[in-house]
Amino acid sequence: MKKLGFALIALIIIASGCSKPHDSRIHVREEVGSDTLGSNIVTRPVAHAFSALIGEGIEITDAVTRRNEAGFLELYVNGFNQSYNTKRFRYRVEWLDEEGLLIGTKTSVWLPMSAMGKSPFSFKAVAPRPQAVNFRLDTRKWE
Amino acid sequence: MKTTGLHLITVVGILAAGCSQETTTIDTMHDEGKAVMALDYRDFDRAASELVQSMLGSGALKKQDGGRYVVATGRIVNDTMQRIDTDQLMAKVETELLNSGQAVMTSAVGSGSDKLVQEARQLRDSEEFDPNTVAARRTLIAPELSMSGKIFQRNIRYERNRQQVEYYFQLKLSDVKSGLRFWQDEVIVGKRGSDRSVAW
Repeated sequence: MKKLGFALIALIIIASGCSKPHDSRIHVREEVGSDTLGSNIVTRPVAHAFSALIGEGIEITDAVTRRNEAGFLELYVNGFNQSYNTKRFRYRVEWLDEEGLLIGTKTSVWLPMSAMGKSPFSFKAVAPRPQAVNFRLDTRKWE
Repeated sequence: MKTTGLHLITVVGILAAGCSQETTTIDTMHDEGKAVMALDYRDFDRAASELVQSMLGSGALKKQDGGRYVVATGRIVNDTMQRIDTDQLMAKVETELLNSGQAVMTSAVGSGSDKLVQEARQLRDSEEFDPNTVAARRTLIAPELSMSGKIFQRNIRYERNRQQVEYYFQLKLSDVKSGLRFWQDEVIVGKRGSDRSVAW
């Protein structure tokens, strides 16, 4: 029995050692690519249930701003949906001027966004006024 | 008998008043109301926001000499089954273009024209007006860019008792002199719901 346990652990270590480092630009989803330990037909329900139990959701990994050629501030947001389920949410970007004051614009409305399970997502926002130097990003549940 | 009847009417009246739906003001900043099959203000807000961001982000309105483009609003076609005032979309877009500092809208021509601009020019021969205060000839500025578009709808049977309604908001920006199109984009708003919900 003990031997079987060791063999199983050894097999897992060998199997994980064989996996090639993947290209972060390419994302092969669950049920499309080869099964992994966390995504095979046996362990998948457990992994999904655990993810739901601990309340995994989206995480913003990166928020970069740059000024475009026309002189408007652009915000590029990158994130990752840690959950196994598709997360639908709304986001709103508000633009701030040099003094940190809010610039009222008609583009600062709640916009829909969707990220598939265990997948990266990105969105972009453009400030409609050249006075914008900073931003404020808010999210809320898609009703 | 009369008193009992009166009591009954009063009780029914009070109960009926209690059941009536209370009128509330929509919190347009954080509206958590359910989606509706027809187009509502949230759909126009979304479409205008995405179209303006796309237009400004494209650099199509950046003039080489640093000045501002004169933009006229052309025809915006409502090809949906709903009675829509296309200004619901265009007023937002025009406001943002004006405030962007890259364009100035003209009220002389186009669908957003102001009749008074032309009427005021007919006062030249009137003896009632000081000629120095009347607009002179050749003072109107012609538009350099024209903004036109279309909103249309497709109704598709999705499942039994369910329908899918797709709304397309299309906008394009063309150079009046050359006829060349500088920018165009489309925003799709899709809804699924009961067949009983009326989308027109």
